[in-house]
Amino acid sequence: MAEEKTRVDFNAPRSLIERADSVVEILDISRTRLLIDALEDELETLTHDEEFRRRLSDAYYNDRVDYNTVEAVLGREEAMRMKLLRASVDRTPAEPQLEDTLPSDDVFYDGEIPEWTDTPSSDSDDESHA
Amino acid sequence: MSENAVAVVYTNVLLNLATPVVDNRLTAPSGADPLKALLIAYDIHTPASVLGEITEATGSGDLLSAAADLVLQAAHHLTTHDVDNRTDDPLDYGLDRGESEGIWLANELEADLFITDEFNTTNYLFITLALNDRNILFTTPHILCTLATHDILPVGYVRAALTYYVETKSWDAQYVAQLRQQYLPD
Repeated sequence: MAEEKTRVDFNAPRSLIERADSVVEILDISRTRLLIDALEDELETLTHDEEFRRRLSDAYYNDRVDYNTVEAVLGREEAMRMKLLRASVDRTPAEPQLEDTLPSDDVFYDGEIPEWTDTPSSDSDDESHA
Repeated sequence: MSENAVAVVYTNVLLNLATPVVDNRLTAPSGADPLKALLIAYDIHTPASVLGEITEATGSGDLLSAAADLVLQAAHHLTTHDVDNRTDDPLDYGLDRGESEGIWLANELEADLFITDEFNTTNYLFITLALNDRNILFTTPHILCTLATHDILPVGYVRAALTYYVETKSWDAQYVAQLRQQYLPD
């Protein structure tokens, strides 16, 4: 609550400010309060907006925004997840070993490989198991 | 086989790797088998409960069910461990029992790898915290890239598979793009 404040001046369309001032009067709050609430609401909405998250994520992975920005916008847990994931990209896993070639399906599997094709009676394949 | 690096996986990883193999639609990648590649190239260990979970997924006639059937047909390539009663102190962090058992097993075996698909949510953070060695944590797409760079899976197949997973499983597209850029550049 005692957070330091910074002054912001900006130009806005006159009609918009007039509409805002009408609302301010009805709600009996200050214009500043309305603007702060509006900004907070917008930032909260963006936090859940897939397209915005994609762009932020892109920017973070490409070093255009830093960790603190991601944390400020998405929260610490989500920012930590992205930080850990980004760091993991450079790690090299234990090496896979293959002596010759992969065995045939007959040798590898107990039975025929099931085949699934979409049919009108079963058109949902998103089991959300990931 | 025993010379292979030890990797611990749980249910979702196996089902996800089996999915494109059984998916006969045109949108699915074809021409390779990521489940087989993983099970041959690594020494794969799971908690015994994984087979129970996979069995539960069978029988419904959908894509998941077909994937579960395929995993069961390859189950003899898995080493299972009874970890019941070993995880009475839940690892908590909001992880489900299967994930907790997998992490416990990875810690117990001092595994070389713990492979997860849980990278879209903060579960990834919790898995990192719960593993004794966070450097063994890798995601399924990362391992798919590794199998491609070691010529165990065709690069073209893995590229197509990554697209398939992003589209059908909603995997974090930006993260997968990073992996693709680093390991499978066009």
